[in-house]
Amino acid sequence: MDFGIEHWLCVGLRHHGALLGLNYIDMLDNYLPILLFIIVGIAFGIAPMLLGRLLAPNNPDPEKLSAYECGFEAFESARIKFDVRYYLVAILFILFDLEIAFLFPWAVVLREIGWFGFWAMALFLAILVVGFVYEWAKGALDWE
Amino acid sequence: MTFANLLFYVFAAILVFAAIRVITASNPVHAVLHLVLAFFTAGGLWMLLRAEFLAIALVLVYVGAVMVLFLFVIMMLDINIERMRERFWSNLPFGLVVGGLLIAEMSLVLTARYFDLDAMPEAAEPPAGHSNTKELGRLIYTQYAYPFELAAVILLVAIIAAIALTHRVRPGNKRLDPARQIAVKRKDRVRILSMPAEKD
Repeated sequence: MDFGIEHWLCVGLRHHGALLGLNYIDMLDNYLPILLFIIVGIAFGIAPMLLGRLLAPNNPDPEKLSAYECGFEAFESARIKFDVRYYLVAILFILFDLEIAFLFPWAVVLREIGWFGFWAMALFLAILVVGFVYEWAKGALDWE
Repeated sequence: MTFANLLFYVFAAILVFAAIRVITASNPVHAVLHLVLAFFTAGGLWMLLRAEFLAIALVLVYVGAVMVLFLFVIMMLDINIERMRERFWSNLPFGLVVGGLLIAEMSLVLTARYFDLDAMPEAAEPPAGHSNTKELGRLIYTQYAYPFELAAVILLVAIIAAIALTHRVRPGNKRLDPARQIAVKRKDRVRILSMPAEKD
């Protein structure tokens, strides 16, 4: 019997839940470790900043606060325009990301939805492959 | 109040705060980051509704991809924050009209009889072993197969539109094509001439 830490967290919380009168012991229990990770992550991010604010000496002066760029005055604003190519890459990523998101519930119930469900997804993928071939042939995937 | 109820109020409070910051933050990058926070907490709320797949898809697709796109768009726009405040008052009446129309439409929809709290009784507790992902899968690929294929067509339109709008082959491009380099023949590069020997 090899149970990971998540198992004991869940067992422990289930025990506490029973004590506190919680009545929702179901799949949400599986996400309790993730909630704990989020809480610990937020605390881990905030605590050092808070400690620094409280404990470190703080006497700012204009020279300390000014931007430092290899000893020169800053030449220009740090805000520069991005190339539109990044946008193209990002939007093509989103489209195929969505395609993958549709594959997950399909894979879970593939045995129940039968051949109709299988061919529904096959048609879905075929339509998107048309787009994929188009973007490949147009050279949208090349970075030049 | 159960622990789940407490979580709901925590997530809802963070969501409302983040949503307000999205429209009040003067720096657009901060607004986008607050929108990321809003998506995360909305994912938490969906998880509390036991909509596992939707919650994770929200984080994966919206936080992971759509917000990256938003950040790219904002970086491409070259926004000057100081200049943005100048036309605040002249644009305010137009903004108020659009905002008022949106609020009116949303309140018409949300207070309609289909969305009233009385019309929507509390959902029954799902039986043990109930899986939201399986329910979705059973419906999308059978009963809703036609809208599902329409989604594919919309994605195809989006692919073609994005490429048509933004893809340019840049002039003066010195990129080499390896296939043409390999396919080159001797006669394309070298010309052998037979010249008579010169006598002096």
